[in-house]
Amino acid sequence: MALFESRQSSFERLVRAYSTELYRYAYWLCRDRFTAEDLVQEAFARAWRGWQNLRDGAATKSWLYTILRNEHARLYERKRPEIDDSQELDEIVDTGSGSVFDQFEMRQALEALPPTYREPLLLQVLGGFSSAEIGDMLKISEGAVMTRLTRARLALRKIVGNDVRRKVTERWTA
Amino acid sequence: MDCIEFRRLILADPRTRTPEQEAHLAGCSECANLARGMENFESRLYQAMNVAVPDALAERILLLRRIRPSAARVWALAASLVLAVAISAYFYPGLGPEREQVIAAASVGESHPAVAAISYVVDHESKLLAEGRSGDPAIMRAALARLGLKLPSRGVNVRYLGKCPVPSGTGEHVVLETALGKVTLILVPDHPLGPRIIVADRELTALTVPVGTGGYILVADSIDHLRRIEKTLM
Repeated sequence: MALFESRQSSFERLVRAYSTELYRYAYWLCRDRFTAEDLVQEAFARAWRGWQNLRDGAATKSWLYTILRNEHARLYERKRPEIDDSQELDEIVDTGSGSVFDQFEMRQALEALPPTYREPLLLQVLGGFSSAEIGDMLKISEGAVMTRLTRARLALRKIVGNDVRRKVTERWTA
Repeated sequence: MDCIEFRRLILADPRTRTPEQEAHLAGCSECANLARGMENFESRLYQAMNVAVPDALAERILLLRRIRPSAARVWALAASLVLAVAISAYFYPGLGPEREQVIAAASVGESHPAVAAISYVVDHESKLLAEGRSGDPAIMRAALARLGLKLPSRGVNVRYLGKCPVPSGTGEHVVLETALGKVTLILVPDHPLGPRIIVADRELTALTVPVGTGGYILVADSIDHLRRIEKTLM
């Protein structure tokens, strides 16, 4: 954060820099695009209110991810959002990169992962965090993060190679 | 480094390669194949996670921060609204909707829903219209019905349909095309809009109408246009 930058302009810069990746992280936490947008909105609202807690400029990104993660945990305590399959299919068509089948297959596999494996993977792939940073955010050791990441990728490779291909083929040929 | 250790590391973090990993790769064709496969796998994984992001997300977040007032501003806004309504009532007693007066934006402040709606139209609408995306007409019809409104079968076309930030969360943003030009309709589901009021700001006029626990806001280029479209929708 620039030394003489006002709080307002710093905030605007943060929103423009991180809202996209935070939305994607939120989407994969709740798998509902409207809830994801609400989560991002609320996370930034909390960030604005808690601005004085941001001491280290370098930690801004992980601070925002942690706020969003906590917001999701609060939401999850209140209700578990229903997932609309047709909405997910619509999302796949919208992205416009990679084959539709590939994306569908990988997304199904990601959804099938237990949250304890999926979350460090999201933080690494979407957020670009190191294992040590993920460990700080999830409050687990770096070694535990690496174990979860390894298992997550092993599980994904297995699912993508087997179950999802079979299920999707069955669905499309039924 | 043996193959097991190499595979454990590459599965945990395919982006990072230590000198030891590079040395192992140079002498192990199986692990080299795995490393190539992992690059493709990571690319697919990233694409799968890379879901489409709603249009103008950052702008909506920033706008919501502007229109979601702090507790102190709520009291200031309430006081200014009471004052504005009292002045209107004193100078124009007994006026019906046809003769409502237009209040300047400065009287109600930039946090007032009418002024915020005008800001949204000025700052974002042309971009949203250019993108040409459209929401679900069924959701719009249901939202209109909840507010006792309906679209006429003739004379009004829906040019844009989407979501927009409102103090209670998300509202419906509809751009209508009429014979007189463009009108914006913002449906606010669960947030009190205060008394019915017409506000002018930056060559646009906004009408807020409370209905039940929410209400709607119309934005057009003139008060005459606003009144005509309001009659059409009722």
